[in-house]
Amino acid sequence: MPEPTEEQRKQWEEKIKNMSPEELQELQRQQCIFCQIISSKIPSKKIYEDSTCLAVLDINPAAKGHLLLLPKEHYAIMPQVPEKVLGHLSVVAKNLSQAILKMLRAEGTTVFIANGAAAGQRAQHFMIHLIPRKTGDGVVQAEERLVGVEMTMKVKAAIEKKLLTLLGGKKEVQKRVETELSRAEPAKEETKMPVPEQEAEIFVTSAAAKRYHKEKCAFAQNIPAENKVILSREEAEKSARKPCTCVSGKKIPLVKPAATKSKTESKPKGEPKKSKESTTEPAKKALGSKPSTIMKTRGEEASLDDIAKFFKR
Amino acid sequence: MLYEDDIVVVAVKDVVYTPGQITVFSRQHFTIMEQVPDEVITKCMVVADKTSRAVFEVFQAEGTNILIQNGLGAGQKVPHFAMEVVPRREGDGLNLQWQPKEVNQDDLDIAAHQLSEEVAKLGDFTAPKKKEEPKEKKEGKELKIDAKEKDKENYLVKSLKRIP
Repeated sequence: MPEPTEEQRKQWEEKIKNMSPEELQELQRQQCIFCQIISSKIPSKKIYEDSTCLAVLDINPAAKGHLLLLPKEHYAIMPQVPEKVLGHLSVVAKNLSQAILKMLRAEGTTVFIANGAAAGQRAQHFMIHLIPRKTGDGVVQAEERLVGVEMTMKVKAAIEKKLLTLLGGKKEVQKRVETELSRAEPAKEETKMPVPEQEAEIFVTSAAAKRYHKEKCAFAQNIPAENKVILSREEAEKSARKPCTCVSGKKIPLVKPAATKSKTESKPKGEPKKSKESTTEPAKKALGSKPSTIMKTRGEEASLDDIAKFFKR
Repeated sequence: MLYEDDIVVVAVKDVVYTPGQITVFSRQHFTIMEQVPDEVITKCMVVADKTSRAVFEVFQAEGTNILIQNGLGAGQKVPHFAMEVVPRREGDGLNLQWQPKEVNQDDLDIAAHQLSEEVAKLGDFTAPKKKEEPKEKKEGKELKIDAKEKDKENYLVKSLKRIP
């Protein structure tokens, strides 16, 4: 390309200033070598091609079989790439890596993405490098070194919030669950108690009866409709009537079911039972299922700890 | 541990290329990338992208590298598939770049031929043909199982040696 004169340069700069974003993008596309490779204006050795991406051999390979996986759309850096495309690229990368391992007898592959010039990105087109590796080939020369716990904590503290907002704050949900779990045991009785109370808000009695019952109590079911009196808890307590065992919750009222009412009565019989057990059963369920999840996560954390140990080494 | 869900875990580890490096890995254990199912690798990639964005903003990085070291030969140190998100700055002294290697053109051609043949065998592994993929993968896997097992053994042996 001939060197542009100063006038031409100025003209260009003005043009670029006046361009709309779409036009700018178009210009970038025209200037981008990889876009030209994709549109076959520049010859290349294509390995794989589909509607969204293209894999070619690198011209300046780090090793034999160094592949570049390019999205067909022009994106400068990774954050611009839509998730769908990224996902597709990663799947393709996986399969290509498999092919590399198999055909080139590589001992491993390095998948490398560079975002920005500081990271060693040379062309303004997002790409994934797939490099076949052999032990001691010196492709990735950087040495990992041990960083103090303080540093890792700092890093953690700095990035946690941002990361969680970007990821949709799923961890907060998990944390909540965890705190719920930790609270679950002391809160057991607190959460349980209101439940039967709420159910027992309405009491039923007969005009002449000496006891009052829960609505679902078998005795209550036996009260004829014309004699039925409905009381609130306060009213029931103020009145001279005594609470039925269904209210005090000590015993389950036993009723000789009339043959015709057996069906309706057997149910109410069961239901006070339930209301009684409801204090324990759902709680048990809740506590029973949640600790198992704790155990699971703990188990997994244990395995993660192992990984962490590996990391430390 | 920074973030975790059913599929991925994001964490800071203490042996790093540069401070601020963050690791994204799958919750389930996979030794190498080829074992990782599509959904998981997709999710990992998306999370890595978001992590990279967070790194950009929080550490005022001028760039990020996302690195998957896949296999012993690639310098993988942990037998668990992981993606590293490395924040980069101009002049941070980190050399993740490779030296371009002069490769014989014929060799390149051969490699290209072999690879494209192999890839053609893999078929179209894009979304609509996902159903076929597992079968094809199995063929590849069978061949590689030995290698994987060897890898695992190597890892075990190495980790044993590391224990003082």
